[in-house]
Amino acid sequence: MTATTAPEAALGVLPRSDGSAKYSHAGYTVTASVNGPIEAQRRDEHAYEAHVDVVVRPAAGVGGTRERHLESLLQSSLSQLILVKNFPRSLIQIVLQVEDSPENDYVNTKLVQASLNLAIMPALVQTAVLALLSAGVPMRATATATAIAIARQDGAQRIIVDPSPREIETGRSVHVLAFTSHGGLLLAESEGDFTVREWDEVYETARAICCRSAPAKDGMAMLLDDEATGGPDMRHFLRSTMESKVVADLHWK
Amino acid sequence: MPREAEPSLNEKQFVIQALQENLRLDGRELDQYRPLELTFGDQYGVADVTLGNTRILAKATAEVTVPYADRPLDGIFTIATELSPMTSPAFEVNRPTETEVLLSRLLEKTVRRSGALDTESLCLVAGQKCWSVRVDVHALSHDGNLTDAACLAVVAALRHFRKPDTSMEGGRLTVYTPAEREPVPLSWLHSPFCVTWSFFGDEGELAVLDATWLEEQVRVGSCTISLNKHGEICQIAKLGGTPVDAVALLQCTNVALTKVKEFSDLVDQKLAEDLKRRDKGGFMAELRAENDR
Repeated sequence: MTATTAPEAALGVLPRSDGSAKYSHAGYTVTASVNGPIEAQRRDEHAYEAHVDVVVRPAAGVGGTRERHLESLLQSSLSQLILVKNFPRSLIQIVLQVEDSPENDYVNTKLVQASLNLAIMPALVQTAVLALLSAGVPMRATATATAIAIARQDGAQRIIVDPSPREIETGRSVHVLAFTSHGGLLLAESEGDFTVREWDEVYETARAICCRSAPAKDGMAMLLDDEATGGPDMRHFLRSTMESKVVADLHWK
Repeated sequence: MPREAEPSLNEKQFVIQALQENLRLDGRELDQYRPLELTFGDQYGVADVTLGNTRILAKATAEVTVPYADRPLDGIFTIATELSPMTSPAFEVNRPTETEVLLSRLLEKTVRRSGALDTESLCLVAGQKCWSVRVDVHALSHDGNLTDAACLAVVAALRHFRKPDTSMEGGRLTVYTPAEREPVPLSWLHSPFCVTWSFFGDEGELAVLDATWLEEQVRVGSCTISLNKHGEICQIAKLGGTPVDAVALLQCTNVALTKVKEFSDLVDQKLAEDLKRRDKGGFMAELRAENDR
Protein backbone atom coordinates (compact mmCIF):
# COMPACT_ATOMS: atom_id res chain seq x y z
CA MET A 1 0.00 0.00 0.00
CA THR A 2 1.04 3.61 0.17
CA ALA A 3 4.11 4.33 2.24
CA THR A 4 3.79 7.39 4.41
CA THR A 5 6.51 9.94 3.85
CA ALA A 6 6.40 11.65 7.23
CA PRO A 7 7.21 9.53 10.29
CA GLU A 8 4.46 9.07 12.86
CA ALA A 9 4.78 8.12 16.50
CA ALA A 10 2.69 7.66 19.62
CA LEU A 11 4.06 7.27 23.12
CA GLY A 12 2.65 5.26 26.00
CA VAL A 13 0.37 3.09 23.86
CA LEU A 14 0.54 0.02 26.10
CA PRO A 15 -0.97 0.59 29.53
CA ARG A 16 0.76 -2.21 31.40
CA SER A 17 4.43 -1.70 30.54
CA ASP A 18 6.77 0.93 31.99
CA GLY A 19 7.14 2.66 28.66
CA SER A 20 5.96 2.02 25.15
CA ALA A 21 5.92 3.58 21.71
CA LYS A 22 4.43 2.95 18.32
CA TYR A 23 6.31 4.25 15.33
CA SER A 24 5.57 4.08 11.64
CA HIS A 25 7.66 5.33 8.78
CA ALA A 26 8.31 4.23 5.19
CA GLY A 27 5.77 1.41 5.44
CA TYR A 28 7.22 -0.07 8.63
CA THR A 29 5.15 -0.07 11.80
CA VAL A 30 6.79 -1.18 15.03
CA THR A 31 5.47 -1.23 18.59
CA ALA A 32 7.93 -1.37 21.45
CA SER A 33 7.57 -1.90 25.16
CA VAL A 34 10.24 -1.21 27.75
CA ASN A 35 10.28 -2.64 31.24
CA GLY A 36 13.08 -1.68 33.50
CA PRO A 37 15.03 -1.63 35.59
CA ILE A 38 13.60 -4.97 36.75
CA GLU A 39 15.02 -8.02 38.47
CA ALA A 40 17.47 -9.87 36.24
CA GLN A 41 17.79 -13.61 36.00
CA ARG A 42 20.92 -15.12 37.50
CA ARG A 43 22.44 -15.90 34.11
CA ASP A 44 21.91 -12.30 32.85
CA GLU A 45 23.07 -10.59 36.01
CA HIS A 46 26.15 -8.37 35.75
CA ALA A 47 27.78 -7.20 38.96
CA TYR A 48 28.45 -3.66 37.77
CA GLU A 49 25.90 -2.85 35.11
CA ALA A 50 22.39 -3.47 33.89
CA HIS A 51 21.75 -6.09 31.26
CA VAL A 52 19.95 -4.76 28.19
CA ASP A 53 17.69 -7.43 26.74
CA VAL A 54 16.33 -6.79 23.25
CA VAL A 55 13.66 -9.04 21.75
CA VAL A 56 12.63 -8.53 18.12
CA ARG A 57 9.44 -10.32 17.14
CA PRO A 58 8.43 -10.57 13.48
CA ALA A 59 4.83 -9.96 12.46
CA ALA A 60 4.51 -13.46 11.04
CA GLY A 61 6.37 -16.64 11.88
CA VAL A 62 8.81 -17.27 14.67
CA GLY A 63 11.99 -15.29 15.04
CA GLY A 64 15.05 -16.92 13.56
CA THR A 65 18.67 -16.09 12.91
CA ARG A 66 17.94 -12.80 11.23
CA GLU A 67 15.97 -11.52 14.21
CA ARG A 68 18.79 -12.69 16.52
CA HIS A 69 21.25 -10.72 14.39
CA LEU A 70 19.10 -7.57 14.53
CA GLU A 71 18.80 -8.06 18.29
CA SER A 72 22.55 -8.26 18.74
CA LEU A 73 23.08 -5.10 16.67
CA LEU A 74 20.43 -3.23 18.66
CA GLN A 75 21.67 -4.56 21.98
CA SER A 76 25.21 -3.30 21.44
CA SER A 77 24.02 0.10 20.18
CA LEU A 78 21.45 0.67 22.94
CA SER A 79 23.85 -0.43 25.71
CA GLN A 80 26.03 2.48 24.60
CA LEU A 81 23.14 4.91 25.07
CA ILE A 82 21.58 3.69 28.30
CA LEU A 83 23.43 4.54 31.52
CA VAL A 84 23.83 0.87 32.38
CA LYS A 85 26.28 1.53 35.21
CA ASN A 86 23.47 3.21 37.17
CA PHE A 87 21.56 -0.05 37.59
CA PRO A 88 23.88 -2.89 38.57
CA ARG A 89 22.37 -6.43 38.71
CA SER A 90 19.17 -5.38 36.98
CA LEU A 91 17.57 -5.85 33.61
CA ILE A 92 16.20 -3.42 31.06
CA GLN A 93 13.94 -5.31 28.74
CA ILE A 94 13.02 -3.96 25.32
CA VAL A 95 10.51 -5.87 23.22
CA LEU A 96 10.04 -4.76 19.63
CA GLN A 97 7.02 -6.13 17.83
CA VAL A 98 6.98 -5.60 14.09
CA GLU A 99 3.40 -4.95 13.03
CA ASP A 100 3.69 -4.06 9.40
CA SER A 101 6.45 -4.06 6.85
CA PRO A 102 6.21 -3.04 3.20
CA GLU A 103 5.78 -5.87 0.74
CA ASN A 104 7.30 -6.35 -2.64
CA ASP A 105 4.39 -6.80 -5.04
CA TYR A 106 6.62 -8.47 -7.63
CA VAL A 107 7.53 -11.55 -5.60
CA ASN A 108 5.65 -13.91 -3.29
CA THR A 109 7.58 -13.76 -0.04
CA LYS A 110 8.48 -16.82 1.96
CA LEU A 111 7.68 -16.79 5.64
CA VAL A 112 11.09 -17.78 6.98
CA GLN A 113 13.87 -15.79 5.41
CA ALA A 114 17.50 -16.07 6.33
CA SER A 115 18.65 -12.97 4.48
CA LEU A 116 19.33 -9.85 6.48
CA ASN A 117 16.63 -7.21 6.44
CA LEU A 118 18.61 -4.04 7.04
CA ALA A 119 15.88 -1.65 5.94
CA ILE A 120 13.84 -2.36 9.07
CA MET A 121 16.73 -1.31 11.32
CA PRO A 122 15.98 2.47 11.45
CA ALA A 123 12.38 1.80 12.49
CA LEU A 124 13.58 -0.55 15.24
CA VAL A 125 16.15 1.95 16.54
CA GLN A 126 13.70 4.87 16.51
CA THR A 127 10.96 2.87 18.26
CA ALA A 128 13.36 1.56 20.89
CA VAL A 129 14.66 5.07 21.65
CA LEU A 130 11.12 6.48 21.87
CA ALA A 131 10.03 3.66 24.18
CA LEU A 132 13.10 4.15 26.39
CA LEU A 133 12.29 7.86 26.64
CA SER A 134 8.69 7.01 27.46
CA ALA A 135 9.85 4.63 30.23
CA GLY A 136 12.13 7.32 31.65
CA VAL A 137 15.26 5.16 31.45
CA PRO A 138 18.30 7.42 31.95
CA MET A 139 20.29 7.72 28.74
CA ARG A 140 23.53 9.38 27.69
CA ALA A 141 21.97 10.63 24.44
CA THR A 142 19.10 9.85 22.14
CA ALA A 143 19.62 8.39 18.69
CA THR A 144 18.21 8.77 15.20
CA ALA A 145 18.66 6.38 12.31
CA THR A 146 18.05 6.15 8.61
CA ALA A 147 18.34 3.67 5.75
CA ILE A 148 19.90 4.59 2.43
CA ALA A 149 20.23 2.58 -0.78
CA ILE A 150 22.45 3.20 -3.78
CA ALA A 151 20.97 2.34 -7.14
CA ARG A 152 22.46 2.70 -10.59
CA GLN A 153 20.09 4.37 -13.00
CA ASP A 154 20.98 5.16 -16.61
CA GLY A 155 24.67 4.90 -15.86
CA ALA A 156 24.50 7.44 -13.03
CA GLN A 157 24.32 6.40 -9.44
CA ARG A 158 21.44 7.59 -7.34
CA ILE A 159 21.03 7.77 -3.58
CA ILE A 160 17.61 6.66 -2.27
CA VAL A 161 16.55 7.57 1.25
CA ASP A 162 14.18 5.07 2.95
CA PRO A 163 14.20 2.59 0.05
CA SER A 164 11.24 0.31 -0.66
CA PRO A 165 11.80 -3.49 -0.85
CA ARG A 166 11.72 -3.23 -4.64
CA GLU A 167 14.40 -0.55 -4.65
CA ILE A 168 16.58 -2.62 -2.32
CA GLU A 169 16.23 -5.63 -4.59
CA THR A 170 17.20 -3.72 -7.71
CA GLY A 171 19.74 -1.45 -6.02
CA ARG A 172 23.41 -2.18 -5.47
CA SER A 173 23.89 -1.59 -1.78
CA VAL A 174 21.95 -0.75 1.38
CA HIS A 175 23.31 1.18 4.33
CA VAL A 176 21.90 1.83 7.77
CA LEU A 177 23.40 4.59 9.87
CA ALA A 178 22.46 5.77 13.33
CA PHE A 179 23.72 8.91 15.03
CA THR A 180 23.54 10.02 18.63
CA SER A 181 22.08 13.41 19.51
CA HIS A 182 25.66 14.66 19.99
CA GLY A 183 26.33 13.90 16.34
CA GLY A 184 28.47 10.81 16.89
CA LEU A 185 28.14 7.78 14.65
CA LEU A 186 26.43 5.02 16.63
CA LEU A 187 25.78 2.30 14.10
CA ALA A 188 26.90 1.71 10.52
CA GLU A 189 25.82 -1.44 8.72
CA SER A 190 26.22 -1.93 5.00
CA GLU A 191 25.31 -4.66 2.58
CA GLY A 192 26.18 -5.00 -1.11
CA ASP A 193 28.70 -3.53 -3.53
CA PHE A 194 30.01 -0.02 -2.89
CA THR A 195 33.16 2.08 -2.95
CA VAL A 196 34.63 4.22 -0.18
CA ARG A 197 33.56 7.37 -2.02
CA GLU A 198 29.98 6.11 -2.23
CA TRP A 199 30.02 5.35 1.46
CA ASP A 200 31.25 8.86 2.24
CA GLU A 201 28.38 10.25 0.23
CA VAL A 202 25.93 8.01 2.09
CA TYR A 203 27.42 9.15 5.38
CA GLU A 204 26.93 12.82 4.50
CA THR A 205 23.32 12.25 3.40
CA ALA A 206 22.50 10.25 6.54
CA ARG A 207 24.13 12.86 8.73
CA ALA A 208 22.06 15.57 7.10
CA ILE A 209 18.87 13.62 7.84
CA CYS A 210 19.70 12.48 11.37
CA CYS A 211 21.70 15.37 12.80
CA ARG A 212 20.25 18.52 11.33
CA SER A 213 20.38 21.14 14.04
CA ALA A 214 16.77 22.12 14.67
CA PRO A 215 16.20 25.37 12.81
CA ALA A 216 13.82 27.97 14.17
CA LYS A 217 11.95 28.03 10.91
CA ASP A 218 8.25 27.66 10.51
CA GLY A 219 5.69 26.52 7.97
CA MET A 220 6.77 27.02 4.40
CA ALA A 221 10.49 27.38 5.02
CA MET A 222 10.57 24.00 6.72
CA LEU A 223 8.69 22.34 3.88
CA LEU A 224 11.09 23.72 1.33
CA ASP A 225 14.01 22.67 3.43
CA ASP A 226 12.75 19.08 3.55
CA GLU A 227 12.48 18.93 -0.18
CA ALA A 228 15.96 20.35 -0.70
CA THR A 229 17.74 17.63 1.29
CA GLY A 230 15.36 14.87 0.24
CA GLY A 231 14.52 13.44 3.65
CA PRO A 232 12.74 14.06 6.90
CA ASP A 233 14.47 15.74 9.81
CA MET A 234 14.66 12.89 12.30
CA ARG A 235 16.09 14.78 15.24
CA HIS A 236 13.44 17.44 15.04
CA PHE A 237 10.80 14.73 14.77
CA LEU A 238 12.04 12.98 17.93
CA ARG A 239 12.07 16.26 19.79
CA SER A 240 8.61 17.39 18.71
CA THR A 241 7.14 13.96 19.56
CA MET A 242 8.54 14.16 23.08
CA GLU A 243 7.46 17.77 23.47
CA SER A 244 3.86 17.05 22.49
CA LYS A 245 3.78 14.07 24.88
CA VAL A 246 5.09 16.21 27.74
CA VAL A 247 2.56 18.95 26.98
CA ALA A 248 -0.27 16.38 26.97
CA ASP A 249 0.95 14.83 30.24
CA LEU A 250 1.25 18.17 32.02
CA HIS A 251 -2.12 19.33 30.77
CA TRP A 252 -3.56 19.28 34.30
CA LYS A 253 -1.08 21.84 35.64
CA MET B 1 11.83 -13.04 35.54
CA PRO B 2 9.79 -11.20 38.14
CA ARG B 3 6.51 -12.80 39.14
CA GLU B 4 3.28 -10.98 38.51
CA ALA B 5 2.19 -9.21 41.72
CA GLU B 6 -0.93 -10.77 43.23
CA PRO B 7 -3.71 -8.50 44.48
CA SER B 8 -3.71 -7.97 48.23
CA LEU B 9 -6.32 -9.48 50.53
CA ASN B 10 -8.06 -6.12 50.86
CA GLU B 11 -8.17 -5.67 47.10
CA LYS B 12 -9.58 -9.17 46.63
CA GLN B 13 -12.32 -8.71 49.20
CA PHE B 14 -13.19 -5.31 47.82
CA VAL B 15 -13.67 -6.70 44.31
CA ILE B 16 -15.71 -9.68 45.51
CA GLN B 17 -17.92 -7.65 47.81
CA ALA B 18 -18.58 -5.10 45.10
CA LEU B 19 -19.54 -7.87 42.71
CA GLN B 20 -21.95 -9.31 45.26
CA GLU B 21 -23.64 -5.92 45.28
CA ASN B 22 -23.82 -6.06 41.47
CA LEU B 23 -21.11 -3.44 41.08
CA ARG B 24 -17.92 -3.60 39.05
CA LEU B 25 -14.88 -1.42 39.55
CA ASP B 26 -15.17 0.10 36.08
CA GLY B 27 -18.90 0.72 36.41
CA ARG B 28 -20.00 -1.91 33.89
CA GLU B 29 -23.00 -4.24 34.13
CA LEU B 30 -22.14 -7.84 35.00
CA ASP B 31 -22.88 -8.98 31.45
CA GLN B 32 -21.34 -6.04 29.63
CA TYR B 33 -18.17 -6.05 27.55
CA ARG B 34 -15.59 -3.31 27.65
CA PRO B 35 -15.51 -1.07 24.56
CA LEU B 36 -14.44 -3.27 21.67
CA GLU B 37 -12.48 -1.86 18.75
CA LEU B 38 -11.39 -3.63 15.62
CA THR B 39 -9.04 -2.12 13.02
CA PHE B 40 -7.41 -3.63 9.96
CA GLY B 41 -3.88 -2.91 8.78
CA ASP B 42 -2.71 -1.71 5.40
CA GLN B 43 -1.81 -5.25 4.44
CA TYR B 44 -4.37 -8.01 4.02
CA GLY B 45 -4.86 -10.22 7.05
CA VAL B 46 -3.79 -7.89 9.85
CA ALA B 47 -6.39 -7.34 12.58
CA ASP B 48 -5.91 -5.30 15.72
CA VAL B 49 -8.45 -5.85 18.51
CA THR B 50 -8.67 -3.59 21.54
CA LEU B 51 -10.89 -4.65 24.42
CA GLY B 52 -10.50 -2.08 27.17
CA ASN B 53 -6.80 -2.26 28.00
CA THR B 54 -6.35 -5.67 26.40
CA ARG B 55 -4.84 -5.47 22.94
CA ILE B 56 -4.30 -8.29 20.45
CA LEU B 57 -2.73 -8.19 17.02
CA ALA B 58 -3.32 -11.10 14.63
CA LYS B 59 -1.62 -11.57 11.29
CA ALA B 60 -2.49 -14.20 8.72
CA THR B 61 0.01 -15.41 6.12
CA ALA B 62 0.03 -18.15 3.49
CA GLU B 63 2.76 -20.03 1.67
CA VAL B 64 2.94 -23.07 -0.58
CA THR B 65 4.26 -26.25 1.07
CA VAL B 66 3.99 -30.04 0.90
CA PRO B 67 0.88 -31.46 2.67
CA TYR B 68 1.14 -33.96 5.51
CA ALA B 69 1.59 -37.53 4.25
CA ASP B 70 -1.50 -38.80 6.10
CA ARG B 71 -3.72 -35.97 4.77
CA PRO B 72 -2.78 -35.53 1.12
CA LEU B 73 -6.02 -33.73 0.22
CA ASP B 74 -5.94 -31.13 3.00
CA GLY B 75 -4.07 -27.89 3.31
CA ILE B 76 -2.30 -26.87 6.51
CA PHE B 77 -3.81 -24.41 8.95
CA THR B 78 -2.02 -23.39 12.14
CA ILE B 79 -2.61 -20.81 14.83
CA ALA B 80 0.51 -19.68 16.64
CA THR B 81 0.11 -18.00 20.01
CA GLU B 82 3.20 -16.82 21.75
CA LEU B 83 3.01 -14.44 24.68
CA SER B 84 6.06 -12.20 24.71
CA PRO B 85 7.53 -10.20 27.60
CA MET B 86 5.61 -7.30 26.05
CA THR B 87 2.40 -8.78 27.47
CA SER B 88 3.93 -8.94 30.92
CA PRO B 89 7.57 -9.30 32.06
CA ALA B 90 6.50 -12.53 33.77
CA PHE B 91 6.36 -14.24 30.37
CA GLU B 92 9.64 -15.46 28.99
CA VAL B 93 10.68 -15.98 25.40
CA ASN B 94 10.53 -19.64 24.29
CA ARG B 95 9.08 -20.85 27.57
CA PRO B 96 5.31 -21.36 27.29
CA THR B 97 3.30 -20.70 30.43
CA GLU B 98 -0.02 -22.27 31.35
CA THR B 99 -1.95 -19.21 30.12
CA GLU B 100 -0.33 -19.51 26.73
CA VAL B 101 -0.96 -23.26 26.37
CA LEU B 102 -4.62 -22.88 27.38
CA LEU B 103 -5.10 -19.95 25.02
CA SER B 104 -3.65 -21.75 22.02
CA ARG B 105 -5.66 -24.91 22.77
CA LEU B 106 -8.90 -22.93 23.04
CA LEU B 107 -8.25 -21.11 19.77
CA GLU B 108 -7.35 -24.39 18.12
CA LYS B 109 -10.60 -26.01 19.28
CA THR B 110 -12.73 -22.99 18.40
CA VAL B 111 -11.41 -22.02 14.99
CA ARG B 112 -9.57 -25.04 13.61
CA ARG B 113 -11.51 -28.03 14.86
CA SER B 114 -14.89 -26.41 14.22
CA GLY B 115 -14.02 -26.34 10.52
CA ALA B 116 -14.33 -22.59 10.13
CA LEU B 117 -11.72 -22.66 7.37
CA ASP B 118 -12.26 -25.20 4.61
CA THR B 119 -8.83 -26.89 4.58
CA GLU B 120 -9.68 -28.98 1.51
CA SER B 121 -9.85 -25.78 -0.53
CA LEU B 122 -6.20 -25.12 0.38
CA CYS B 123 -5.06 -28.20 -1.56
CA LEU B 124 -3.36 -27.36 -4.86
CA VAL B 125 -1.93 -30.68 -6.13
CA ALA B 126 -3.05 -33.75 -4.16
CA GLY B 127 -0.19 -35.06 -2.03
CA GLN B 128 2.31 -32.62 -3.48
CA LYS B 129 1.41 -28.96 -3.06
CA CYS B 130 -0.92 -27.15 -0.72
CA TRP B 131 -1.33 -23.81 1.00
CA SER B 132 -0.16 -23.50 4.55
CA VAL B 133 -2.17 -20.77 6.27
CA ARG B 134 -0.74 -19.49 9.49
CA VAL B 135 -2.16 -16.99 11.95
CA ASP B 136 0.20 -15.37 14.44
CA VAL B 137 -1.47 -14.01 17.56
CA HIS B 138 0.51 -11.30 19.36
CA ALA B 139 -0.78 -10.20 22.75
CA LEU B 140 0.47 -6.63 23.10
CA SER B 141 -1.23 -5.84 26.36
CA HIS B 142 -2.95 -8.14 28.85
CA ASP B 143 -5.75 -6.80 30.99
CA GLY B 144 -7.90 -9.90 31.26
CA ASN B 145 -10.03 -11.85 28.80
CA LEU B 146 -7.27 -12.67 26.33
CA THR B 147 -9.32 -15.57 24.94
CA ASP B 148 -12.29 -13.60 23.62
CA ALA B 149 -10.13 -10.85 22.16
CA ALA B 150 -7.70 -13.32 20.57
CA CYS B 151 -10.49 -15.37 19.02
CA LEU B 152 -12.11 -12.27 17.53
CA ALA B 153 -8.74 -11.12 16.18
CA VAL B 154 -8.02 -14.50 14.57
CA VAL B 155 -11.44 -14.70 12.91
CA ALA B 156 -11.24 -11.09 11.70
CA ALA B 157 -7.69 -11.55 10.37
CA LEU B 158 -8.62 -14.71 8.45
CA ARG B 159 -11.72 -13.15 6.95
CA HIS B 160 -9.73 -10.09 5.93
CA PHE B 161 -6.88 -12.15 4.50
CA ARG B 162 -6.27 -12.66 0.76
CA LYS B 163 -3.96 -15.36 -0.55
CA PRO B 164 -2.16 -15.16 -3.90
CA ASP B 165 -4.18 -16.42 -6.86
CA THR B 166 -3.09 -19.67 -8.53
CA SER B 167 -3.84 -21.52 -11.74
CA MET B 168 -3.21 -25.03 -13.04
CA GLU B 169 -2.39 -25.54 -16.71
CA GLY B 170 -1.29 -28.93 -17.98
CA GLY B 171 0.05 -30.05 -14.62
CA ARG B 172 1.95 -26.78 -14.18
CA LEU B 173 1.07 -24.76 -11.12
CA THR B 174 1.46 -20.99 -11.28
CA VAL B 175 1.29 -18.79 -8.19
CA TYR B 176 0.61 -15.20 -9.20
CA THR B 177 2.24 -12.29 -7.42
CA PRO B 178 0.01 -9.43 -6.17
CA ALA B 179 1.25 -7.32 -9.10
CA GLU B 180 0.00 -9.87 -11.64
CA ARG B 181 -3.37 -10.83 -10.18
CA GLU B 182 -5.46 -9.56 -7.33
CA PRO B 183 -5.17 -11.97 -4.35
CA VAL B 184 -8.27 -14.04 -3.47
CA PRO B 185 -10.04 -14.53 -0.12
CA LEU B 186 -10.02 -17.83 1.78
CA SER B 187 -12.99 -20.17 1.63
CA TRP B 188 -14.54 -19.36 4.98
CA LEU B 189 -17.48 -21.41 6.28
CA HIS B 190 -18.61 -19.85 9.55
CA SER B 191 -17.30 -17.44 12.16
CA PRO B 192 -17.03 -18.85 15.67
CA PHE B 193 -16.45 -16.51 18.62
CA CYS B 194 -15.51 -17.17 22.24
CA VAL B 195 -17.45 -15.80 25.19
CA THR B 196 -15.85 -16.29 28.59
CA TRP B 197 -17.84 -16.25 31.80
CA SER B 198 -16.10 -15.84 35.13
CA PHE B 199 -17.69 -17.15 38.33
CA PHE B 200 -17.46 -15.55 41.73
CA GLY B 201 -18.78 -16.38 45.18
CA ASP B 202 -18.48 -19.57 47.25
CA GLU B 203 -20.89 -21.53 45.05
CA GLY B 204 -19.92 -19.81 41.84
CA GLU B 205 -23.37 -18.18 41.82
CA LEU B 206 -22.20 -14.87 40.33
CA ALA B 207 -21.52 -15.02 36.61
CA VAL B 208 -19.61 -12.12 35.08
CA LEU B 209 -18.69 -11.44 31.44
CA ASP B 210 -15.37 -10.04 30.18
CA ALA B 211 -13.39 -10.09 33.43
CA THR B 212 -10.47 -7.70 33.79
CA TRP B 213 -7.07 -8.95 34.93
CA LEU B 214 -7.85 -8.10 38.56
CA GLU B 215 -11.16 -9.94 38.39
CA GLU B 216 -9.48 -12.91 36.70
CA GLN B 217 -7.11 -13.18 39.62
CA VAL B 218 -9.91 -13.46 42.20
CA ARG B 219 -12.47 -15.58 40.32
CA VAL B 220 -13.31 -19.11 41.48
CA GLY B 221 -13.83 -20.55 38.01
CA SER B 222 -14.38 -19.72 34.38
CA CYS B 223 -16.15 -21.18 31.40
CA THR B 224 -15.45 -20.42 27.75
CA ILE B 225 -18.27 -21.02 25.30
CA SER B 226 -17.52 -20.90 21.58
CA LEU B 227 -20.37 -20.60 19.13
CA ASN B 228 -21.31 -18.91 15.89
CA LYS B 229 -24.16 -16.53 15.19
CA HIS B 230 -26.48 -19.40 14.21
CA GLY B 231 -26.22 -20.72 17.76
CA GLU B 232 -24.12 -23.74 16.82
CA ILE B 233 -21.85 -24.48 19.76
CA CYS B 234 -18.28 -25.39 18.81
CA GLN B 235 -16.95 -26.13 22.26
CA ILE B 236 -17.52 -25.46 25.94
CA ALA B 237 -14.49 -25.47 28.20
CA LYS B 238 -14.75 -25.34 31.96
CA LEU B 239 -11.32 -26.20 33.22
CA GLY B 240 -11.51 -26.96 36.92
CA GLY B 241 -12.66 -24.41 39.46
CA THR B 242 -15.82 -24.42 41.55
CA PRO B 243 -18.73 -26.50 40.16
CA VAL B 244 -21.46 -24.41 38.60
CA ASP B 245 -25.18 -25.13 38.44
CA ALA B 246 -26.19 -26.61 35.07
CA VAL B 247 -29.26 -24.37 34.70
CA ALA B 248 -27.11 -21.29 35.29
CA LEU B 249 -24.75 -22.52 32.59
CA LEU B 250 -27.67 -22.82 30.15
CA GLN B 251 -28.59 -19.22 30.92
CA CYS B 252 -24.96 -18.25 30.27
CA THR B 253 -25.08 -19.95 26.86
CA ASN B 254 -28.17 -17.95 25.90
CA VAL B 255 -26.52 -14.65 26.79
CA ALA B 256 -23.38 -15.79 24.95
CA LEU B 257 -25.44 -16.19 21.77
CA THR B 258 -26.60 -12.57 21.85
CA LYS B 259 -23.01 -11.42 22.42
CA VAL B 260 -21.74 -13.54 19.54
CA LYS B 261 -24.35 -11.99 17.26
CA GLU B 262 -23.02 -8.56 18.24
CA PHE B 263 -19.43 -9.65 17.51
CA SER B 264 -20.47 -11.11 14.19
CA ASP B 265 -22.22 -7.89 13.18
CA LEU B 266 -19.19 -5.85 14.25
CA VAL B 267 -16.78 -7.93 12.15
CA ASP B 268 -19.12 -7.83 9.13
CA GLN B 269 -19.50 -4.07 9.42
CA LYS B 270 -15.76 -3.42 9.82
CA LEU B 271 -14.93 -5.69 6.89
CA ALA B 272 -17.43 -3.86 4.71
CA GLU B 273 -15.94 -0.49 5.73
CA ASP B 274 -12.43 -1.73 4.97
CA LEU B 275 -13.50 -3.04 1.57
CA LYS B 276 -14.99 0.34 0.75
CA ARG B 277 -11.76 2.06 1.81
CA ARG B 278 -9.67 -0.19 -0.44
CA ASP B 279 -11.98 -0.18 -3.44
CA LYS B 280 -10.30 2.20 -5.82
CA GLY B 281 -12.60 1.36 -8.71
CA GLY B 282 -11.76 2.36 -12.28
CA PHE B 283 -9.02 0.60 -14.19
CA MET B 284 -7.78 -1.53 -11.31
CA ALA B 285 -11.32 -2.80 -10.73
CA GLU B 286 -11.52 -3.92 -14.35
CA LEU B 287 -8.21 -5.76 -14.12
CA ARG B 288 -9.38 -7.82 -11.16
CA ALA B 289 -9.39 -11.57 -11.74
CA GLU B 290 -12.54 -12.28 -9.72
CA ASN B 291 -16.04 -11.41 -10.82
CA ASP B 292 -19.42 -11.02 -9.13
CA ARG B 293 -20.36 -14.66 -9.55
